[in-house]
Amino acid sequence: MIRLGLRLTLNGGREAAVRLTLIAAAVALGVSLVLMSLAGINAVNKQNARYAWLGTGTVPWGTSTSTVPASPAGSAGTSTTGQASAADPLWWLLQADHFAGQTIARVDVAATGPRSPVPPGIPRLPGPGQFYASPALSALLRSTPASELGDRFPGHQIGTIGAAALPAPNSLIIIIGHTASQLSHLQLSHVPGAAEVTSISATSPSSCSGSNCAVGAGINAAGIDLILSVVAAALLFPVLIFIGTATRLSAARREQRFAAIRLVGATPRQVSVISAVETSVAAVAGVAAGFGLFFLLRTPLAAVPFTGAPFFPSDLSLSLIDVLAVAIGVPLAAVAAARLALRRVRISPLGVARRVTPRAPRAWGLIPLLAGLAELAYFVAAGRPKTTGGQVQAFVPGFLLIMVGLVIAGPWLTMVAARLMARRASRPATLIAARRLADNPRAGFRAVSGLVLALFVTTVAVGVITTLVFYRGAPSGGAAASDTLTAQLGYGPGEAINIQGRSASAPVSDALLTQLHSIQGVQAVALIHTDPLGMKISAAKMGLQPSFGSVPADLISCAQLSRIPLLGRCPAGAQAAAIPSTGFLGLDQSLASTTWPTAAISGQRLRRLPVQAIFVDTNGSTSAIERARTALELAYPYLPSPPTTIGEFSAQTSRTTLEYEQLAEVVILVSLPIAGCTLAVSVAAGLTDRKRPFSLLRLTGAPLSVLRRVVALESAAPLLITAVVSTGLGFLAAGLFVSAQLGYSLRPPGAEYYLIVLAGLAASLGIIASTLPVLDRITGPETARNE
Amino acid sequence: MTEQTGVVSAASRSPVSERADCLIEASDIVRSFGQTRALRGASVSVTAGEILAVMGPSGSGKSTLLHCLAGILAPDSGEIWFDGRRIDAMGEAERSALRRDHFGFVFQFGQLVPELTAEENIALPLLLAGTRRAAALARARPWFERLGLDGLEQRRSGELSGGQAQRVALARGLVAGPRVLFADEPTGSLDSLAGELVMNLLTAAVREQGTTVVLVTHEPRVAAYADREVIVRDGKVNSLAAGRVGS
Repeated sequence: MIRLGLRLTLNGGREAAVRLTLIAAAVALGVSLVLMSLAGINAVNKQNARYAWLGTGTVPWGTSTSTVPASPAGSAGTSTTGQASAADPLWWLLQADHFAGQTIARVDVAATGPRSPVPPGIPRLPGPGQFYASPALSALLRSTPASELGDRFPGHQIGTIGAAALPAPNSLIIIIGHTASQLSHLQLSHVPGAAEVTSISATSPSSCSGSNCAVGAGINAAGIDLILSVVAAALLFPVLIFIGTATRLSAARREQRFAAIRLVGATPRQVSVISAVETSVAAVAGVAAGFGLFFLLRTPLAAVPFTGAPFFPSDLSLSLIDVLAVAIGVPLAAVAAARLALRRVRISPLGVARRVTPRAPRAWGLIPLLAGLAELAYFVAAGRPKTTGGQVQAFVPGFLLIMVGLVIAGPWLTMVAARLMARRASRPATLIAARRLADNPRAGFRAVSGLVLALFVTTVAVGVITTLVFYRGAPSGGAAASDTLTAQLGYGPGEAINIQGRSASAPVSDALLTQLHSIQGVQAVALIHTDPLGMKISAAKMGLQPSFGSVPADLISCAQLSRIPLLGRCPAGAQAAAIPSTGFLGLDQSLASTTWPTAAISGQRLRRLPVQAIFVDTNGSTSAIERARTALELAYPYLPSPPTTIGEFSAQTSRTTLEYEQLAEVVILVSLPIAGCTLAVSVAAGLTDRKRPFSLLRLTGAPLSVLRRVVALESAAPLLITAVVSTGLGFLAAGLFVSAQLGYSLRPPGAEYYLIVLAGLAASLGIIASTLPVLDRITGPETARNE
Repeated sequence: MTEQTGVVSAASRSPVSERADCLIEASDIVRSFGQTRALRGASVSVTAGEILAVMGPSGSGKSTLLHCLAGILAPDSGEIWFDGRRIDAMGEAERSALRRDHFGFVFQFGQLVPELTAEENIALPLLLAGTRRAAALARARPWFERLGLDGLEQRRSGELSGGQAQRVALARGLVAGPRVLFADEPTGSLDSLAGELVMNLLTAAVREQGTTVVLVTHEPRVAAYADREVIVRDGKVNSLAAGRVGS
């Protein structure tokens, strides 16, 4: 019987070949998407793992922390041997520098002995006056004038950092060698981050309990596992539905043939075997093609910065379990789906009869959905678990329950809506579509379930992100914010930064001011001084909620303030004004219209006061910003925060939020085409199943437009109904999540979200429309004649 | 009601085209499908109110002739006239409108929309013509009693027997009061008893409404219900006959 099944599949003529090709192509597409999703998750983890060494010295030591023990400083290769306790300590300082909007991870190191640990990617530690740079930074150093970048880094380059230490191919990383005394002095000067370490961290940022395990780039959020779990579910679910739909292509034709086989004496069991063989052949061919497609697309896909940084192509790899799960699981699932579908029809020797009106979905299908919502609501009342792992265990089941619940409740909701539609229908297209949906709402919903899940996930992601941005501050932007460079020299009286034996907050040298003013493109330099008067600025003045009270003030010369309007303005006639201490500055353009209170201090006295911060306003050219930054870094090396533009600072603080958003966009971008493909396949399958009644309707004079409306309504009605429900539930779930996890109230998203949703719906409707020409062809007179 | 009483005549007649009550006239129709010539210069006329049986062996071109007469297919050459309008020169949209407004159809099987109830299936041509739903269903209901389908109004096609489904299809073909009913092997999928019932009901209904019928069949027993028979052989209408079953 297996041989007969194979013969029917492979030598069944043109129709069988077309069917086989269609199913295999659809399965291939689905499988390649599954593989890309799995490989993407693996890639994010691999990329994260390569951030680990950058967390050295900042990862809290404890039982959960893994480290790579030291190896002799002079030995080749990365640190893999020896005991941490036996190693010579390594002086270590990691800082984030910037160039043209990109982050440079700068690592200053100094060996204290021959057994100091060596970071990955370099053969040995650089000596004093030497450095290693990543390939991307090396290229940048070669192509950029030294006054804009190279002068910041003491010494000369002795090599390139290998891929093992690069989170992404374009990572900008530099490892600079010093003498131990140079770096030990930094610790004595209380430079944050300067520390002696005995091993290089191997703790992936995703396992960090802190929120800032590594500097620079990448996904360093503590909740990355939670996000990845949701992303994986959001991607895999629609793909599996798509594969299931694809295997049902031309099911009606196949079933007719099975009836003929039954007529000549085949038992139902034998028909099942033939069906399984046919489906397996298509699924296996599809799986093989899917793997081919995945490997073909792997390299271009790696270049897409899904996480904000591109992957190495080798990052997009598959584990043995991934390969086996897909290679075995998909054909098995396809056979199971086909077998299930066969059980829904009665194939007798005299023909195929649908089991009359499939059993209507019951209202209990709402239970998983309600249970998921109740689970999230419980944590609103009871409070979130304290650990990341506990939070993952708390929220992932809730979201998964809602997603599964949406799929289970979808047919019931579709049926209720279809029955209402049928009751009110006065046009034949509406009546036929509504009746078909009400008869078999599962089939109607199946086609749009992928999109419904995509909409749910998108709504949750956007709802959470919008709320985070609202409460934690939106990234400030604008040209002015990106053009103004800030060097923070101190944090209020008594917190002056000590740089190489002197207070950084000492009055700024005239030489530096002259140098800054001499840079082409620098338009103004303003100094923010400590306030000996003890003035306070009310939060309301800064545009914050009055509940914040008031914040300490710093002082600024009105002559200088007038040249940097971004920071606000002085009252008329004032010589100096009190502005919020730079640590409290909102760094937002809204300050531009603020008039700060007059400070009763003479200009001469003001100039003698310690400087808290230097603001350098430029014309926005990269050359001006980077030359000014280089000059400031050379004047004030090892500041806790190297000079940054306000735009860079905002980008850094909102980095995690942006990474979440990036992942949400990935979900949208991947889910929508999958849902679109499912719709297209489902509509095409529905059309071929109803060739005869539709073509006979056309013969009797029913205009093609009526049939088009039937198809459009059958697809659009469940799409629109469930879209409303899924976005509503998305907002509800997001609201419960932000309330339980973060203690915030949900904020409505901006117009962009609605545009994405409308674009997604429009794309799906476009895909439905693209199948309509098929209707014209398959319902022509020839079909009625030949069927 | 009609009653089968056997063939009463088979006399030749003068060409119907010369008669004032000629409703459909086709002359010298040629229609090919690829290399296959299904019709090779077929000519036939149908008088208003008559039941014309088109007979012939399988593959002779009788269904193609019916499809051409009904405006489903456009002939490659030749002319087809319906009530003074030339069908073969019409576009697809115009022919669709003609079929919807003036013709009814009954086919061998599979013509009911499976999602609709029997009542809605019968009302479908009226709905397509723009009649309001309540009015369309009201016009559909009397057909259940007339065709012996009482109590089956809410059944779907899958819940009807072959004979019942064919009677629903017949009601659907006649509900809008078409001038011509085209029936292609209407009893082809039925047993003889059910076939006879359908033909009896068909002839009774069309005589009551004055509907013209073009009936394609290869069964002499079915053809016997017609007023006149033509035989299609090798793509040509090459003989004429007349017959009558019942009154």
